[in-house]
Amino acid sequence: MSSNASFHPLAWTAWLAAAALPALSTRNPLYLSLTLAAVAVTYAALGRRSPLARSWAAFVRFGALLWLLTIPFTALTAHHGTIVLLQLPANWPVIGGPITGEALLYGLTGGLALVTLLLIFAAFNVAVDQARLLRMTPGFIYQAGVITAIAVAFVPQMVAGWQAIREAQRVRGHRLRGVRDLLPLILPLLVTALERAMQLAESMEARGFGGQVLAGAPAQRIRSQLAILGGLAALAAGFAGLGFWPEQRPLIGITMAGGMAALLASFWDLGRRVRRSRYRRWQWGRSDRGVLVVSLSAALGWAAAWLWRGEWLFYYPYPPYSPWPTFLPALGLAILTLALPAMLLRPARPVVGTDAARPACDRTANVMSESERGAYALDRA
Amino acid sequence: MIELDRVTYTYPDAAVPALADFSVTIQPGEFVLVVGPSGAGKSTFLRTLNGLAPHFYGGRWAGRARIFGRDPVALAPRGMADLVGFVFQDPEAQFVVDTVEDELAFAMENFALPQATMRKRVEEVLDQMAIAHLRDRRISTLSGGEKQRVAIAAVLALQPEVLALDEPTSQLDPQAAEEVLVALRHLNEDLGLTIILSEHRLERVVQYADRVLYLPALAAAPILAEPRVVMGQLPLVPPLIELGRRLGWRPLPLTIKEGRAFIRRLADQGWESARAVEQPGDGTATRSATAAPIVTVHDLRYAYDGHPALRGVSLAITQGEFVALMGRNGSGKSTLLKQIVGLLKPDQGRVAVAGLDTRQTAVEELIRIVGYVPQHPAALLFGETLADELAFTRRGHGLPADRPADLALLARLGLGDLAGRDPRDLSGGEQQRAALATILVADPQVILLDEPTRGLDYAQKQNLARLLLALRRDGRTIIMATHDVELAAAAADRVVLMGEGEVVVDGPARQVMSDSQVFASQINKLFRDPRFLVVDDVIGQMASCKPVLSVAEGLQIADGRGEQENV
Repeated sequence: MSSNASFHPLAWTAWLAAAALPALSTRNPLYLSLTLAAVAVTYAALGRRSPLARSWAAFVRFGALLWLLTIPFTALTAHHGTIVLLQLPANWPVIGGPITGEALLYGLTGGLALVTLLLIFAAFNVAVDQARLLRMTPGFIYQAGVITAIAVAFVPQMVAGWQAIREAQRVRGHRLRGVRDLLPLILPLLVTALERAMQLAESMEARGFGGQVLAGAPAQRIRSQLAILGGLAALAAGFAGLGFWPEQRPLIGITMAGGMAALLASFWDLGRRVRRSRYRRWQWGRSDRGVLVVSLSAALGWAAAWLWRGEWLFYYPYPPYSPWPTFLPALGLAILTLALPAMLLRPARPVVGTDAARPACDRTANVMSESERGAYALDRA
Repeated sequence: MIELDRVTYTYPDAAVPALADFSVTIQPGEFVLVVGPSGAGKSTFLRTLNGLAPHFYGGRWAGRARIFGRDPVALAPRGMADLVGFVFQDPEAQFVVDTVEDELAFAMENFALPQATMRKRVEEVLDQMAIAHLRDRRISTLSGGEKQRVAIAAVLALQPEVLALDEPTSQLDPQAAEEVLVALRHLNEDLGLTIILSEHRLERVVQYADRVLYLPALAAAPILAEPRVVMGQLPLVPPLIELGRRLGWRPLPLTIKEGRAFIRRLADQGWESARAVEQPGDGTATRSATAAPIVTVHDLRYAYDGHPALRGVSLAITQGEFVALMGRNGSGKSTLLKQIVGLLKPDQGRVAVAGLDTRQTAVEELIRIVGYVPQHPAALLFGETLADELAFTRRGHGLPADRPADLALLARLGLGDLAGRDPRDLSGGEQQRAALATILVADPQVILLDEPTRGLDYAQKQNLARLLLALRRDGRTIIMATHDVELAAAAADRVVLMGEGEVVVDGPARQVMSDSQVFASQINKLFRDPRFLVVDDVIGQMASCKPVLSVAEGLQIADGRGEQENV
């Protein structure tokens, strides 16, 4: 993995948001397919070098399964539409009645949106170094960040534990035939996971974790609490507005942005009070900025269209609307730009031995090869 | 200075205190070894040093503790972290982040040390623990010994005065354990760090300790004294010290080197020349040559994701043999056991059990003949009671329920009183036996055990050895993967040494163990003579050579006690 390198995680977080925006805001299969294509290109350009590349196949398989499940579900339960494919006896509960092409389409596009989201996440996974991402967590949710890091590390351990337990029980003649047969597998898994978690918690406590938050002055505390409350209220009002007054999108957008800003400001303020230092310092490279700029412009373009011209994204196969999706080349282009960062940009700092970069101020900077490092060691001696 | 004054600590929901009216004083710079049976409070004592007890667990606390002037009860573990470094037993479960360097920085980040200081200290501890070559590695790719050294380095980064280590080597193979202990000794001698270490396998550490703290079970008074003094009082000690005690050697030898001095004295008195006995242990060789094998492994090759684990292993094991599989971690022992029980199928070659080819036989079929006890008994146990567990195996094997037989089996394993207990509440040694019971209930002809002595104390190990020997006497075949040289010496009649997925040596236990430097038992290292693997070999030999009896006055002790000790 010596040629492995890593982008700034925040840049790819912006990409994640930009790519997820279309999948969250439209069911138009054309835009969704384009998003999927951009994601696939991103994976092809970046993913193979990642240690998590193998997880991609699992994501694809899981996505396909999800898709296959959603299609018959909608197709069999929604009986609206004019393109009747077949008739099931009307006295059958739930699934009885006409099976329509529109319902099938609706299931297809709904599933497509899910799969797209899943694969966006998978591509994000291979594009960033998770450990680096988690270390980026801002001060005020630092503890949450560490807990997430542990959870991430737990998954492979759980998988290994699951295998050991399955083997152990199989040798006792245990066979998986029904839900009840899961108990002999799940219980030991939970118990061992819990024991592990306790031991880890002890280890963290013994190394001084969690004792670093300084108490703020009362006035300061009240101020930040009010800001959080106000921010949350603005966000909630925005979501409610989306449902009740969909025509007021610009106003709603501004309210939500204001709420977001209030939250971020108070979080930043809280973060300043966490007394804690960082071992590694990250710097933004040119390619990181490139990823950020492309992602932000794509996201802004899409968000503007969503807020002001919602009908451009609208897709609903049932009558009175057309099952044929509309398509605007400009929006398609905005989506396709998401493939650019992975195709054109390379992470700035290649790393020796691992995929985690060390700070640029570090004199043993990672750009050194092993032999150079040897020379450096001699030099220092 | 570490001072605990009349400390009584009770875990929540516990009826009896884990530490009762406990007082101890430890001087700065001491290396103190904490020993005692499981459940005697070793871990609890260590956890009082940094306040994990009572802060992490809750419970009731009385008494006074001062660690270099600080009060762990008032300051809580996070306030003690820069004074007392704590290293845990399980190398897997104490790491927070994923790479070595970040792990070393974790505690310092928590203490908000400036970046420049952190950089300097990371370099220092990397050198101190000799792990500089691992700095960029992911922790999951390290070996057990490397992990424990990283764990020690991670607490050293805060420059503590005291290191408390809770059985840090109990899950390591002998070589890895040695790496860790050598590093600790260096910290103690070169930096004057106070080290307080609990450990079951005394033979590994007793020579490093300045003093030994013995915590007996049943609330008897703890003993803190020089190693030799404590070793004279413990009920169960390593074989070398056991031999010294039986033969009345004074001062008690703690190392092979010290023991050799006594051997020379014996030799001077003519004992060593008495070689009138025939070589024992060749019975095994003749048996395997004549009888048809029950387990045959022929040119077995197997790889995990392209990483070869077994590279052409061939073995034939006869019914009634007790085989110890030994070798470093990752040498293929566990893989071989899983191949024999059919959980893994050969990539190439052939494994047959009682004539059944594992590739053509379902696991369900094989487990009628082969029982497999995995490394972690917790992976097996899930039932509400121990009796349920046995009933579950019976159902799995399609056997009729037979509660009286189950209870009889539990009684035989010394678990008779525990049939109604929740198996997860049992102690480590009891869980190990419970796991064995869930396998034995199906009455397998071949019993496979993977590392059965992890975390067992001397008494539990002795019980296990007795049990296995009894099973072998019933005609069972036992194949046991183990790092425990003394258990193999005491129980196995054949040793198969594995390395890099191949069989390196295969032969009668006596021959293999006396040929090896690493896998020799203590007694064998002492005499370098294939006749002597365990204490009883020596005592038996002495008893049979009448003229020598007068040599050591200690032999009277041997006569009195020779019968009861079997392991």
